[in-house]
Amino acid sequence: MAEAVCGSFCQEKEASFEAAQKSARMAGLRAIKADLNIVSKDIVSKNKETLRDLLAAALNSVCDSIGRFSLAGKMGIAGLLLIVFIAVFAPFVTFYDPSAISGMSLDPPGPEHILGTDELGMDIWSQICYGARMSLVIGLAVAMISGVGGGFLGLMAGYMGGNWDKMLLRTIDITMALPSFPLLIVIAAFLNPSILNVILVLVFLSWAKPARVVRSQALAMKKQQYIISARLHGAGPVYIIRRHIMPEALPLIFVSILNISSYAIVAESGLAFLGLGDPTSKSWGMMLHYATSFRSIYFTPYWQWWLMPPLIALIFLLLCLAFIGRDMERIVDPRLRLRGGQ
Amino acid sequence: MSLLEIRGLFIDYVSDTGAFRAVDDLSLTLEKGEIIGLAGESGSGKTTLGMAIMGLLPDNVMSSGSILFQGEDLLAMPDSEKDRIRWKHIAMVFQNSLEVLNPVIRVGDQVSEPMIEHLGIGKEQARARCVRLFEEVGLDPVWLDAYPHQLSGGMRQRALLAMALSCDPDILILDEVTSALDAFTKKEISDLLCRLQKTADCSMILISHDITFLSAVSSRLAVLYAGRIMELGATSEIIDYPMHPYTRGLINSTPGIFLYRDMWGIPGEAPSGPVSGCPFFGRCTQRVDQCNREHPQLMPISVPVSADGVKAGSSEREVACHLGGVVTLLQASGLNYSYRLSDGRLLDAVKDVSLDLREGEVIAVVGQTGSGKSTLAHMLAGVMGSDVGEIFFDGKKMNGDRYGSGYGGIQIVFQDPASSTSSRLSVQDAVKEPLDINRLQSLRERIELAASALSSVGLPTTDEFLRRPCGDLSGGQRQRVAIARALIMRPKLLIADEITASLDVSSAANILRMLKGLQNSRGFAMIYITHDLMIALKTSDRIAVMDGGRIIETGNSHHVMLYPRQEATKKLVGARILRSSAEEIAIDRAG
Repeated sequence: MAEAVCGSFCQEKEASFEAAQKSARMAGLRAIKADLNIVSKDIVSKNKETLRDLLAAALNSVCDSIGRFSLAGKMGIAGLLLIVFIAVFAPFVTFYDPSAISGMSLDPPGPEHILGTDELGMDIWSQICYGARMSLVIGLAVAMISGVGGGFLGLMAGYMGGNWDKMLLRTIDITMALPSFPLLIVIAAFLNPSILNVILVLVFLSWAKPARVVRSQALAMKKQQYIISARLHGAGPVYIIRRHIMPEALPLIFVSILNISSYAIVAESGLAFLGLGDPTSKSWGMMLHYATSFRSIYFTPYWQWWLMPPLIALIFLLLCLAFIGRDMERIVDPRLRLRGGQ
Repeated sequence: MSLLEIRGLFIDYVSDTGAFRAVDDLSLTLEKGEIIGLAGESGSGKTTLGMAIMGLLPDNVMSSGSILFQGEDLLAMPDSEKDRIRWKHIAMVFQNSLEVLNPVIRVGDQVSEPMIEHLGIGKEQARARCVRLFEEVGLDPVWLDAYPHQLSGGMRQRALLAMALSCDPDILILDEVTSALDAFTKKEISDLLCRLQKTADCSMILISHDITFLSAVSSRLAVLYAGRIMELGATSEIIDYPMHPYTRGLINSTPGIFLYRDMWGIPGEAPSGPVSGCPFFGRCTQRVDQCNREHPQLMPISVPVSADGVKAGSSEREVACHLGGVVTLLQASGLNYSYRLSDGRLLDAVKDVSLDLREGEVIAVVGQTGSGKSTLAHMLAGVMGSDVGEIFFDGKKMNGDRYGSGYGGIQIVFQDPASSTSSRLSVQDAVKEPLDINRLQSLRERIELAASALSSVGLPTTDEFLRRPCGDLSGGQRQRVAIARALIMRPKLLIADEITASLDVSSAANILRMLKGLQNSRGFAMIYITHDLMIALKTSDRIAVMDGGRIIETGNSHHVMLYPRQEATKKLVGARILRSSAEEIAIDRAG
């Protein structure tokens, strides 16, 4: 049933949204290519070239990987895009404000409220849609900051080596040794539970993994003969990182970003579920928290429309991310690639 | 006073259309009892010089300078005077023996003729002397009454030699006497000449392009090119350690000197018209601007002491080169490198290694795995610095500088094809990367240079291939791409670190021949690191054997192979010899 619903949604939303995305992407790609042509005709300033190179490389690698995705991976992308769409256009796909008391309390699903209402009479569908924003923002922000930041640190440490590397390694060890969830709870309980604080805490707990992965990649690549060759030809670290190490490390960073975003979403929902989230925010975790706090909800039919939607949405989002992450890993890791997915 | 002294000799062949200079400002002396060899390619003026000494130059010749025989100028002498000297004092064995002998006169009569003419002896006496001469040159006297066409080539050559010897000359000029002869006869003639020189005590001028023959007989060697002497010195020393690039080219083209190596001629052609600078300019691998402007004079030079302390030459050597002969490109001395093992001990990978390499020379560093070959190569290329010791490249001290970042530097090609180029980069990007890094040339020129470098290593230059990522290529192709990337920087020194070790025999052979061909035509020096002695013998001029981090033996590659001095070398030679035959056949076939 869920799939059928999802399928119908997918088809129409995808048609509009993905086409727009695709055309935008293609336009971007074309623009970049055109830019590169211009670059090849007359030398533009070095910085611009660098940025374009990086961007083109990243874009190419992403486009290339998507082409090699399995069916599950493609479904994951479609699902993720759907959720992103819902989150972005939440005011247009909902009929009520999520915090407005728009109906009777605990209304079952019906024509008035697609998914019913909660105990305060607020529309569940609206809360799901607006809650997606929260999950995605936190997931994306944490993943981007810790993926890119940690990746950069790892890259530098791996390439430069020496004391920087040692310092980073020790820091990574310490960070990874910390029991993350209990620490998260403690920190969240002590700090003011705002979105920013949650993001900062999650970043602090998740930057180490991408840093370590990228560091080992940089370390291994540094010994590659073509990099030695480039160095002998007079290439500086900036060139080598930009031209050789970055493009190879980017997919790894991308995989880490996906994994971290799953982790961040779960962690945020977990905190909220435990009541440590921002009480005014509308997140899926908070919805679960309120639903489960409702006395003996399982003896009533309310759990069916109050508890299940945020749970399914959360599982759906995490599944999508997991599918994408799995495919990305398969594509990035040549050993897995040989074994092949589908 | 020297027996023969040539001073500032110019000889021009004059024709209606212009003049061709055959001998150009040539000075040479010949002492009594000396055998001097004149070596050079065809058209270098060897025969003209011989003819000039004999006074047999044709009429359309303009000459200046002087040829003094015992103080008398042969050039200024009237013809009647020349007759007195010819045969009696200076005799010549001519090159083309069938044409030189009169086909309708018996051989014995022809040999007797100059004796009757010049010594004034009777016919019978002359015939008796003739028999003795025939015996002396190893020809049965029964052939005295034969006609020239009845004799074989070797016999005719002997008859001519007998004729030249008939009047007991002071100077014997032998013009290409062995060129057309088979190996046995050649050997006999060269033995005969050695014997004659001892018994008859005559001086000889040997004209030949055959360096092996000259090295067997002559004591001094003059290398002629475009009518000029390029190098002059003791024969054995010149052959062991040629100082002029042209001499080296000649020696490298001689199969008798390098028994195992492939032969490669000197690329290019001799100049056909007058030149303002060094006549070898167009073919020289180490030319500088000055070479195209000024004639180099034949100057005495000191043969450099090589880094391993062996001095190749002790007697004087004269070379006509602005740079004083083949320059030493790389000089490394006292190199040391140790790796720190995980348990803190130091492993000496390279110990007190000294190595020198001359411009355009190919040296193979051979040794077992773990003998420090690659470490040495990496130190020389600047991949890592040495703990102790210094490296001079092109006269400049190298301390951690990157000589690969500009034209005319050092380039290295590594062993593993899979990581020698980035799998991600396209072929074109990989090849032009050094130019991109150093911002050399315009972007369009870079693409053109990359295409030409690719075609020089035998790879296609279609758009499809240029865009293909290196990861899709075969090992042999990737290695070629890596070589093209090195060559695009026009290196003076290419270090090849086991580049064929992980390739199949045929790809390896193809790559080696391609590389050697490029080396020959472009003239860069090469250090070839290999564990395979047979490949080293095929490719290199010199071999350095490494064992336990030290260079234990260096020398001419076939010398090392035939007469290994050190135990480790003997083991290396012994270990390879059984398996070698098949490999060599494969290499020969693949070529």
